[in-house]
Parts: sequence; structure tokens; C-alpha cells
Amino acid sequence: MNFALSSDQQALLDGLAPILARHQEMPREGRLSRHYYDHGLDQALADGGFLDIASVEEFSPLEAALVVDAIGTLPSVVEAATTLLVAPKVLPSGFPRPVTLISGPLHFPQRYLPVAKIALYQFEGDLLAIEVDPDNVELADSIFAYPYGRFRQLPDLDKATRLGPDKIPILQQWWRVALAVEAGRAMEQAVNFTVDYVRERHLFGRALGSFQTVQHRLAEGHQYARGARYLALRAAWSSDPVDAATAATYAQIHIDQTRFDTHQFNGGMGISNEHLLHFWTYRMRALESEMGGPGGNAVAVSRLAFAA
Amino acid sequence: MEFGWPEAQRKYRERVRSIIDRDLPEDWPEIHRHGLASPEQAKAGRVFAGKLAKEGLLVQHWPKEFGGGDGEPWEHFILGEEMWPRGEPRGPQYMNVNWLGPALMKYASAEQRERFLPPIIAGDVIWCQLFSEPSAGSDLAAMQTKSVRVGEEYVVNGMKVWTSYARLAEWGFLLTRSGPARRDITILLVDMKSPGITIRPFPGIVEDGHLHEVYFDNVRVHVENRLFEENRGWEPVTYALNYERVGVQRYQIIHDAMHQAVKELKRRGTFDNDPLVQRDAGIVLAKCEASRLISYEVVDQRARNLPPSEDASVARMSAKECIMAFNDFVSTWMPEVLSEEPIGGDWQLSWAHSFTIASAIAAGAYEIQCDIVATRQLGLPRGA
Ligand SMILES: Cc1cc2nc3c(=O)[nH]c(=O)nc-3n(C[C@H](O)[C@H](O)[C@H](O)COP(=O)(O)OP(=O)(O)OC[C@H]3O[C@@H](n4cnc5c(N)ncnc54)[C@H](O)[C@@H]3O)c2cc1C
Repeated sequence: MNFALSSDQQALLDGLAPILARHQEMPREGRLSRHYYDHGLDQALADGGFLDIASVEEFSPLEAALVVDAIGTLPSVVEAATTLLVAPKVLPSGFPRPVTLISGPLHFPQRYLPVAKIALYQFEGDLLAIEVDPDNVELADSIFAYPYGRFRQLPDLDKATRLGPDKIPILQQWWRVALAVEAGRAMEQAVNFTVDYVRERHLFGRALGSFQTVQHRLAEGHQYARGARYLALRAAWSSDPVDAATAATYAQIHIDQTRFDTHQFNGGMGISNEHLLHFWTYRMRALESEMGGPGGNAVAVSRLAFAA
Repeated sequence: MEFGWPEAQRKYRERVRSIIDRDLPEDWPEIHRHGLASPEQAKAGRVFAGKLAKEGLLVQHWPKEFGGGDGEPWEHFILGEEMWPRGEPRGPQYMNVNWLGPALMKYASAEQRERFLPPIIAGDVIWCQLFSEPSAGSDLAAMQTKSVRVGEEYVVNGMKVWTSYARLAEWGFLLTRSGPARRDITILLVDMKSPGITIRPFPGIVEDGHLHEVYFDNVRVHVENRLFEENRGWEPVTYALNYERVGVQRYQIIHDAMHQAVKELKRRGTFDNDPLVQRDAGIVLAKCEASRLISYEVVDQRARNLPPSEDASVARMSAKECIMAFNDFVSTWMPEVLSEEPIGGDWQLSWAHSFTIASAIAAGAYEIQCDIVATRQLGLPRGA
């Protein structure tokens, strides 16, 4: 057990840091758009080899998770979690990306569909890889801080690649890990963002962050984010389905309070596009329902952990 | 970063388990039913802790120079993780290993260490913690129990309350006010048989025999029993509290109790087909695991010799989360196990419940932990 980064892990993240620093600022069009995707960041990550590390022998899913976790510090989004944590477990190497995970019925708006090359879809006990025709996708306006799209016409599933029923539990496990990594970091960013705000904002002659109710709820948010991040990283490290379900459950059950408290303490500012808060909170919101949501994942924890 | 147990630690855990299996008395369930604060368990605890000591397992994580085995802080945690779910066979002596020993090793004089450490290392002494007073719990520095230096002795007058295990203890780690400033605190290591000490147990909703009032009426304590410097006791206290916050592996108590609860529900046929109970059980486990990792981070820092941090308070906060979820689970899905005679004689569930109900109060209230995290870790400004 060691919570410090190894020298290889540190070197990996040090290599990533300058790219992230260059994309720290969210461009104005991103702030005002409901479909913003940071193509520049995606390209830079790809060029730097960071989206291929799942196929690099020295690296394990933990390092992939650390990369996703680090990218999650940015207000802009790129599809890295599925590429790094889910797709390598179910698709042959060299798969085209970005990859989207179909959540709910196929005709519903889907996260990352406007940029996706492949959609992974659980259908009739099999896992299908659907090649996405960009002309068959329209943008879907959503409140969630990811680009959403829907199929204009349902794709022909006979043309999809059948990956096999044995891939379903694998997909589910790694989807849980991926969503937990993203959610944990989004929770932490929302809390940190709010901590900075309440330190500066003065009301009633004192800093807002000096009121105990604000302090305690942020301390709780800080604790939840930490728990969520460590559970997610452990699940990536252990490749254990119980750990994966545990991580997803823990993140999802704490999203609601974290989202509420962080918005609450930013007051009206948190609702405006001036502020970046909603990019993290509405990312959390999107992740809150995936893979069965808090209830479904908690049931999965029970079924996996108490199976014997 | 990695989350695995090295081979040596896995072996250490196996060894601890095998010693528990070998040395726990056959009538342990019966003994433990009297509770951790009972004379029965304290007596059995002495025998058991003595055996652990002989095996070199009690203070394996202490430095060799102080009588330990130069082990890792991880070994301390592994020991606790194995002890607590079995009802803590060391009895109240767990405190010696958790916070008292570390405070003595850091702050006691060489002569004091020679006197006080050997019985702890041998598993043959019970200490109690004499901190809280009626008007000084969370606001510990408001304590009133006074010590006045008279020649080579301190004369102590006042009262402590809530003291766990007081009537079983031979020694007390006593905080006294010794000067006019708020933090003029002097620590005395006091023989609990000293003339002038009166101990009164009082009942409570934690296990029987846990809580006491301790009165000091002109109790004389020789200056050689003062820990660290006069009026500078706050420093060792803060150090000890930091150790105490993660001293009890509450996530493990709850984790194991949860497995026991589900076993019982499965036996009754009310678990496997009910997604509602499964959901609630999954949430308890998730909170346990978060608390485990947050606590492990503190151990990892100790293992890397980093200074104590507020992370111990985050860990303490996380313990409250899993305890609340578990207690809610039990009272929702199997309230009958909380009755005096648990169904099926399943004492562990009711014990886990009653032992943990005060976990957000004892060893520093939850809100105090939140304050520490908010101001010292998040850097939020102190209130008006
Ligand atoms: C089972 C049990 C065993 C114990 N064992 C020992 C022992 O062995 N030795 C010993 O010395 N003490 C012991 N204690 C005492 C324990 O440390 C105190 O109960 C604890 O520090 C709280 O103090 P208090 O009870 O005086 O509550 P108070 O200090 O009166 O606080 C009451 C409540 O007020 C709230 N509160 C307090 N301060 C603040 C604040 N700054 N901001 C917001 N809210 C606040 C908290 O919710 C707190 O629980 C034990 C207590 C229990 C319940």
C-alpha cells in the first residue's frame, strides 16, 4: 500500500501537466455552448501518446486512471475515460476513438455521441460495437456538461460487431471504474472551486468561508471526493468487480449533496456562465445515473460482495 | 501508488489470525457479552494481550529501542483490523498501543519510559484517559482540574467525566490546569489507587461499565510522574489525539458486522430477492471501504515518517459515515438483533451497534473534526 506516486507515475503525470496547463482556460465559445468538446486537447493528448497508454506494457489500468483523473481537473471535456479504461478491455487493440457508451435506450441522447467513432451497446445479452456514422448523429441540447447527441435513425444492429456475452460483465466493471474516476475528480474540483470562492467572498463583514455551516459542508464534500477518488483508483488497480461497483456507488451516492452544497455556496454566481462551477457539477449529474445509478450500483455491490 | 499488501504483511495478518484462533478462550463469546469495559473482558484481555506480547505481536510496530519489533505502522493497523471484529480481545489495552505508547515514546523521559513502557509491552497494564470534564469536552482547554506544585509533588483537585475503563485502570493519563493561560496544561501520569481518587461508574446507552466520573481530592502526584514540561502538556495531547482518531479500525468492525448481518438475513431468506435491502447493504459496504482507504492514507503517511496531519480528522469523519449507515441498516432491517438477548445469540451485531453509537462524540466530536479539516486543511478562515 502506497499512496505516493511511483517515479514512473510521477513522470507520466509530469509529461501530461504542460498539455493540461495549456488547456486550463476554457475558451469563451466553450462557456456558452452546450456541446463543447475540446478537440485541441484531444489532439494534444493523442499526439503525446496519452490516449494509448492502455496498450503500453509498463502501464496498468491504475496509470490510465491517473491520467483520466488528471484530465478531469480541466473544465473542458475530452473522451479519455472510455478510451483508456473501458474500450481496451472489450475492443481489439487499435480501435478507433472517441468511444461512447450507450446508456439507456439507443434512441436516447448519449454522452459524446457527436464526436464518437464507436458506440458500445449492451443488447440482448451481447455487447455490440456500432460504428458511428457522423451524418446519422444530431446534437442534443442537454444540461449536462458533456456534448450529447442522438441517432437520427437507429443504426442497423446487424452491421454491428458482436463482441460476445462474456464482454458484458467486463464492460460493466470498467464502465463503473471510469465513471467513478471522472466523478471523484469532478467532486473534488467542485469543492476546491467553492473553497476558493468562499474564501474571497465577504458577507456580513466576514468571509463567507468563515461560517461554520459552510465550513462543515465543504469539509464533508472534501471527504466524499477523497473517498471517491481513492476507491476509483483502487478499483483500477485491483481489477476487482466488487471494488468497481463500490467505487461507482460511493461516488454516485455523494454526488447529490456535493452538487447541492457547492452550488449553494456560490449563490447566483454559480448559475452564471461567468463561473466554471457548473462544468463540474453537471458532469457529476451526468455520471450520477450511469450503470444503474446509486441504487443499481449499490445492489451490484451487494450481489458481488455477498455472493457466497 | 498501489493498493496491495506486501507478502510480509499478508503473512503477519495470517499469523495474527492464527494466534487469535489458537488463544482466544473457548468461552470468549460469553466473556465478550459482558462488554469491553467489563472486569471479565479486562481479565481475559490481560491473558490474551500477554500471549500476543510473547509472540511479539502486541507492539511489533514500535521501534526496537522502545521494545517493539521495528515493524511498520501497517502492522499496528492489521492487528487492530483483526482484533476489533472479534470483540477486541486485548480489552482496554488497545489504547496503550494506539495513542498512549506513542505519546510516551515521544514525550516521556528515559526514566519514565523504563518504568511505564515494559508493562505495556508485556500486555499487562490498563490505562485510562483523564481528559474530559463536565465543562470541557470539545473545548478541552477549558478544563478546570487543577494541579499545584508543592515541593516535589503536584496536588490535584477536580473532576473528570466520561472516563472509559476508569475502574479497571491502574494508571491514568491526566490533564490538569497548572497556570493562568488557557493552554497552561500539565500532564500527570497518575496511579489510580492514589489516596484521594474516587471513581463512580454511571450507566449509559453504550455498554455497561464504560462510563465513569473520577474525582480528585488533594491527590498527590510526584513530579517524576509529570509527562513533558510543566504547562506544555498541550503538545503531547494534540499528538496523542491525532493517534487516537484513527486508533480504532471502525470500518473493519462495521465491515465484518455487515457480513454477519447479511449472513443472518440470508439465513432468514430475506436478502437474496430483495433489492431494497441489497441496496442498503451495498451502501454500507461502500462507505466502509471509503473510510478504510482514507484511514490507510494516514497510516501510509506514518509509514513514510511524514508529520501528523489533518487527514486523521478526515478519517474520523469517514468512520462516522459508515457507522451511521450500518446502524441505520440494522435498525431498519433487523431491529430485533438490538434487543438485549439477540436472536440467535448474535452478540456481535448488537455490540457493534452499542460500541459505535458514540463514535461521532468520543475522541473528539464530529463537528470538531469538520472544523479542523475546514480551517487547517481547506484553509478556510476561522469564524468570528
Ligand atoms: C462513550 C464515550 C467514551 C468516552 N471516553 C472518554 C475517556 O475515556 N476519556 C475522556 O477524557 N473522555 C472520554 N469521553 C468524552 C468525550 O471526549 C467527549 O464526550 C467529547 O469530547 C465531547 O465533549 P462533551 O461530551 O462535553 O460535549 P460538548 O463539548 O458539550 O459538545 C456537545 C456537542 O456540541 C457540538 N459541538 C461542540 N463543539 C462544537 C463546535 N466548536 N462547533 C460545532 N459544534 C460543536 C458537537 O455536536 C458535540 O457533540 C468519552 C465520551 C463517550 C461518549
